[in-house]
Amino acid sequence: MKYSYNWLKEYVDLKDINVYNLAEKMTAAGMEVEAITPLASGTNLVIGEIIDCQKHQDSDHLHVCKVDIKEEVLQIVCGAKNARTGLKVIVAKVGAKLPNIEIKKAKLRGVESFGMLCSLKELGVNTKYLSEHQLSGIEELPEDALVGNSNVLEYLGYDDFIIDVGLTPNRSDCNGIFNMAKEIGAILNRKVMLPSLSMTEYEAKSTFKVDVLTEACHNFLAKVIHHVEIKESPLWMKRHLEAVGIKSINNIVDISNYVMLETGQPLHFYDLNIIHDHLVVKDDYSGIYTALDGNSYQIEKEDIMIFNQNKPVGIAGIMGGNDSKITMDTKGIVIEAASFHSVNIRRTSKRLNLFTESSTRFTKGIDIQALNKAMLRSVDLLVKYAGAKEIEETVWFKQDCFTPTMIETDLTYINGLLGTSFLKEEVHRVLEALDFYPQWNQEVVTCKIPSYRSDIKLPADIAEEVIRLIGFDSLQATMPTMEATVGLLNKKQQNRRLIRNFLASSGLNEIVTYTLINQEYASHNVLPFDDTVALLSPMSNERKFIRNSLINSVLECANYNVARKNNNVNLFEISNVYGTTKVKERLAIYLSNYLHQSRLFKMEVKVDFYVLKGLLVNLFKKMGYEAHRVSFKVDQQIDVNIFHPYRVCNVYVDDVVVGCFGQIHPEYASQFDLEEVYYAEINLDDLYKIKTDKVQFKAIDKYPSVKRDIALVCKDEVSAKDLMNCIKIHDYVCDVEIFDIYRGSHVEDGYKSVAIALTYQANDHTLQEEEINEVHNQILENLKHKVNAVLRG
Amino acid sequence: MEKIQQLKQQAIDFIESAKQVEEVNQIRIEYLGKKGHVANLMNLMKELPNEEKPKLGAKVNELKQELTARIDEKMMILKQQAMLENLEKEKIDITLQGYQSTLGTIHPLTMITQEIEDLFLGMGYQVAEGPEIELDIYNFEKANTPKNHPARDMQDTFYINPEVLLRTHTTAIQMRELEKANGKLPIKLICPGKVYRRDDDDATHSHQFMQAEGLVVGKNITLSDLKGTLQYMANHLFGQGRTIRFRPSYFPFTEPSVEVDVSCHICNGQGCNVCKSTGFIEVLGAGMVHPNVLKANGFDPEVCSGFAFGIGLERVAMLKYGIDDIRNFYINDIRFLKMFHRFD
Repeated sequence: MKYSYNWLKEYVDLKDINVYNLAEKMTAAGMEVEAITPLASGTNLVIGEIIDCQKHQDSDHLHVCKVDIKEEVLQIVCGAKNARTGLKVIVAKVGAKLPNIEIKKAKLRGVESFGMLCSLKELGVNTKYLSEHQLSGIEELPEDALVGNSNVLEYLGYDDFIIDVGLTPNRSDCNGIFNMAKEIGAILNRKVMLPSLSMTEYEAKSTFKVDVLTEACHNFLAKVIHHVEIKESPLWMKRHLEAVGIKSINNIVDISNYVMLETGQPLHFYDLNIIHDHLVVKDDYSGIYTALDGNSYQIEKEDIMIFNQNKPVGIAGIMGGNDSKITMDTKGIVIEAASFHSVNIRRTSKRLNLFTESSTRFTKGIDIQALNKAMLRSVDLLVKYAGAKEIEETVWFKQDCFTPTMIETDLTYINGLLGTSFLKEEVHRVLEALDFYPQWNQEVVTCKIPSYRSDIKLPADIAEEVIRLIGFDSLQATMPTMEATVGLLNKKQQNRRLIRNFLASSGLNEIVTYTLINQEYASHNVLPFDDTVALLSPMSNERKFIRNSLINSVLECANYNVARKNNNVNLFEISNVYGTTKVKERLAIYLSNYLHQSRLFKMEVKVDFYVLKGLLVNLFKKMGYEAHRVSFKVDQQIDVNIFHPYRVCNVYVDDVVVGCFGQIHPEYASQFDLEEVYYAEINLDDLYKIKTDKVQFKAIDKYPSVKRDIALVCKDEVSAKDLMNCIKIHDYVCDVEIFDIYRGSHVEDGYKSVAIALTYQANDHTLQEEEINEVHNQILENLKHKVNAVLRG
Repeated sequence: MEKIQQLKQQAIDFIESAKQVEEVNQIRIEYLGKKGHVANLMNLMKELPNEEKPKLGAKVNELKQELTARIDEKMMILKQQAMLENLEKEKIDITLQGYQSTLGTIHPLTMITQEIEDLFLGMGYQVAEGPEIELDIYNFEKANTPKNHPARDMQDTFYINPEVLLRTHTTAIQMRELEKANGKLPIKLICPGKVYRRDDDDATHSHQFMQAEGLVVGKNITLSDLKGTLQYMANHLFGQGRTIRFRPSYFPFTEPSVEVDVSCHICNGQGCNVCKSTGFIEVLGAGMVHPNVLKANGFDPEVCSGFAFGIGLERVAMLKYGIDDIRNFYINDIRFLKMFHRFD
């Protein structure tokens, strides 16, 4: 909301406090000043008169003017077409600072110039308030302008500042300047003088009728004035309106706006020639309606409409109609001051996408007592500035009566909530300044809340007013004193940190990506899940669905990095995914190129299926699931459009599937401009449910171990697991490691050679050669019979 | 006797001039070996008269001992020399780069979340979480923001259906926790999480961002306690010596409500570009838990009170590190991520 400093100054004593000091104090009290803008600016200005105006000899558009500024006559070269002898003008003397330029002595095509004749635009006046004529040349001052007057901005009514305040939703009362003036009075602890409003004595009986046929209209006041004179508004009124962003139209329209700005109560003036006997408020109309702005609007039931003679004449609280608007021919008017239910106005305004000064005020809620105030104030101004005569009494439809809120609280509560030790006198001063009429009974105070402060409902609200107006600087910084509590992360939170630390120290970068994805992404999932959740009103199709898997977000991120030539992109993300009935916390891991790479030291970890597998085994071990509990199988449904059909598997812990991983299908990867990349997605919530191993001491083996290497030849399709199953048949076999796999010359096609290191050890004695041989031979037999793997000759 | 002296001198000369361990070994054999020069001297003994024999014996022994000592000493010196020479051959270029395995990173938003969590864990707070797809009740209704409340306009919401939405603030977690506690005191929570608002993404707006909210409910909790707690947090996040300032504000779920400014960490409150010459930066919103919120969750506002605060984590990171575009956090360029290899 914008306020004019000068306008406020009319109601509240702002002596010795400039606009910047005022803004600081307002901000500190919760009226956040977001900007201060001068209405116009310029130094070293004076009113002058052109006493001689000749064409410049070397120019077809410049004039050489002699300008009388009382103490001297200046020669000024001026390019404006309307410069002429006898014109009273605004002179910016040498040294003047205007919003965009500084005036210096100059020579224009050989002729010296000592200043500039100004247009209002050059003084920084918003061009939307200037006429074509004003924009095309220098400002033409009235003939009675006093030559030599150096208070030019004041003379023009532009010595004002626009104070832009970001009002919090609870303080919509300050949408009225009267209330803002009161607020400032309370902040500064200064006197506020609002115009006195009283019934005019010369009111005649009225035959005008008001019917309200909806519950969404609480009060409706109407008044007929038979005679008004349409003319220009006085300068001060124009300037005040300009300051807050409203262009002057004529005195009648301006008064309706002026009063709305002052009181916060929107008014509507109808032409009495069109609306002369009654107004009806209804909410059962549907159809097309053309409003004041010339646009047609689709009106539906529950939109509140104003009717006359069975014809709609306005969208209540939002915009009036074209037929009944005030024109230059208007002779008499009907004033409407009503209150409509904010929810209805909000709904209609939103649906029609029609937001007006009036609708925003109704939406935010208005003071129930402002209606009559606004009515009285407009009559007052109409009489003074529009020659209003033959005024009828106000016709009322009244449903709501105001009963002031009474709040009882005490000093102990206020100080207790704030942690302060304010004295009764300090608190009293604030409450009185706010017109809360504090009545004390010892420490207990009763407040009577004025109608416009509908935000004040509870003792806590009173406490806020107290600290706000005494100032937060008085607040000490203490720590809560209360019983001791234990601060500890839960298991899930600890695990999340463990995963992050483990993967980051393994060389991966954690990413955080958007939850909202497009339909195509939402149609893929790497793990079985619910249906996808869609937004009711997305901002774009790109962000319409809530993700059910992390895969596409992660691949998109990889794509971004690869496109920027970032090498070795290895990523992980922990995030929730959502389905219609489920939430799951998932971990995504993405590997590409090298996990580690040092060419100098010839050390590198080229990423492949097994690197990712090993990373997962280690991660699970860290999380409390030893390798023997983790298994890899291909039995859950896996989307082979996403994964390479022969390089993918499910991950099990005990017999629970906790995720899947593998190489991304080259075709799928190519959609993201990626090649050989690996991806894992783990359902952490499922994993967390599985019991972890206990960390326990076991005696360190005392007896020596014996190592035997064997080289087997077997068919290609024999898996490592098949071999292991044949080997791990005795307790003496304490470790088995495949250390080489070879295919090629000396090995038949379709066969492979596998080198395996076996370690034998017993935990209770030193193994004898014969004992080892016995087991070893058994193993060889087993390998031969079960998987046809024979020692390489 | 003369011969002994001669032999001795000769041996000493050889030892002195020896350059290699092998040479010294050779000298040892030549002189002290079974058939060496010293042993040969003993053979001379036979030719000597009996009374001379002990004298000669003593002399030879003396010679033997001296030569042994000299040889040992020389040997040691040569070995040491040889070792030094060998080591020198192994000299390396210490300026060559070391082997560095790839350092991964934790996302800056995670790091800030963890810092805040740790700070409050140390003060006995619990970390609470909640669903991002939330019921209107927890996001708004319970937070004293009924339908058609003007404050709902402050946060444009992604609805899934009229009762379900993407949470617009982590206040929803607080409401769930308050309901769960059902009047049981005390409550000390820190609630971090992702939140969503219908904002067009640009340098300073994001439809998804992160918040952390704090909530304390107990007996005699005051606005001053809020100030002290936030002062502590400001110092931790923005460095020692920061001061904070409260300005009145409005949130439906707190009363009184305040905006909290922290003195500018760039100019130390002197005024600069970052703080727009004000010396302060608006960092978070806070207030005393609204009595209606307490009541709605089974707490008696006559008996207990509480404070709550909420901070935007992207904003903290952007201010701390001078990040100029919020989209960086969600684009995840690894060059960006690697700038934040630790919390500072």
